[in-house]
Amino acid sequence: MPEELSIIGDQEIPDTKNCLYCDKQIALNTKFCKNCGASQLPYNAKPLNNSWHLLKQAALFYSIYIVVCCLSSFVDAFKTLGWCLIIEVIIAGTAVLFFTYNWNHNKEILIWSNFSLLKLATYGAIAIISSCLVHYSVDWLNVTVFSTDQHFYSIFDGNKAAPYLIIFFTAVTPAIFEELGFRGYLLQILLKVADKDQAVYISAFLFAIIHLSFLSLFWLIPFALFIGYMRVRENTIWYGVFFHFLFNLTACLFQLL
Amino acid sequence: MENTITTPAQPTELCNYCSTKIENDDSFCTNCGYPIKGTDFEQRSFVAARNNIDIDMNEFNKTLKSATMSLYYLAGIFVISGLISFFMNKDNADVLAIVLPNFILAILFLVLGSFSRKKTLACLVSGLSLYIIVQVLNAIADPVSIGRGIIMKIIIIGYLINGIKSAINIEKIKKENNIA
Repeated sequence: MPEELSIIGDQEIPDTKNCLYCDKQIALNTKFCKNCGASQLPYNAKPLNNSWHLLKQAALFYSIYIVVCCLSSFVDAFKTLGWCLIIEVIIAGTAVLFFTYNWNHNKEILIWSNFSLLKLATYGAIAIISSCLVHYSVDWLNVTVFSTDQHFYSIFDGNKAAPYLIIFFTAVTPAIFEELGFRGYLLQILLKVADKDQAVYISAFLFAIIHLSFLSLFWLIPFALFIGYMRVRENTIWYGVFFHFLFNLTACLFQLL
Repeated sequence: MENTITTPAQPTELCNYCSTKIENDDSFCTNCGYPIKGTDFEQRSFVAARNNIDIDMNEFNKTLKSATMSLYYLAGIFVISGLISFFMNKDNADVLAIVLPNFILAILFLVLGSFSRKKTLACLVSGLSLYIIVQVLNAIADPVSIGRGIIMKIIIIGYLINGIKSAINIEKIKKENNIA
């Protein structure tokens, strides 16, 4: 293509493009057309008029999470199996509701077009190794990461299906619905409002602090950043769901076995 | 008559507005869109429009500065409350557990404040969310604490929200006008 253009143009410009408005040939890195003065910002890079509205919507989503997570973690009345289920349903419902509300913009990340077994295995291995590292480093710090979850486990005391319930509540549902909520709905909105890096940072920080544990922040932020970038690179949430599931499952098994 | 419109009034080596190097046959600056070969009126209109944008940007930047300052202010508040609770619970065996959260929060707000120049929107959204979570947790632990320093809390939240709005507006103006 550069060769073709250099034949047409007689200027000594290494790479050229056509003006978006007057179609005349201009240098590739030009911000404004030298002939008509039109801005050469591609259509998809143009600013949104509803950024603030989108952020308010995301704030509503996050506020629901804040209230539900704070109440369920720090109010003893909610620490029963029944409440546990209700809270799980509210969290899952919120994620699904907000995700489907913006369905047209979000549906693309549910598609797993670039499925690769090798990639999946690599991400799986990283998840298991990092979960082990976190477990031992936290043990080394002599603080249990799952200090809140240990209370959580006591909910299932005396229940025959306890191991399955624990795996369901700590590995299966968070992997699906946290990914759908944070790397699905929230990150999609943030990518529209801010650039890629800032969007991933915000979603990672919000995800980390909603776990309401100071000592977990040191691994939750890198964890969320990794999944965030993975989701942006692969353009699907499924690698993240798989990663999150294996990470939590490994942590879960350390507690159960 | 044709000459009066098309002949440039000034040398064409550097753009009059942004000082970018320009080629002889350029009608507009390729960096800022300044009408090099435009009429006097067109050139003046361009400069006036750009000045208006600068005035808007300055206003938004001022709001942004107050918002980022409130992140540092919050860091300071948590250091002070950490110190106060340390001296109040000096003899308590769990003093570290009481004081440490304050200092971790102070560090978090300090880090957010120091990165806020480069990643403004990310730091302000993170700071606001963290502050609100802390307030909700305090309210659950001790409902009376909501009322304590409520005016200050509202002012800080207001500054942070206005900061986020300004960051969005600045980004919008930059994109609309193709300014780096």
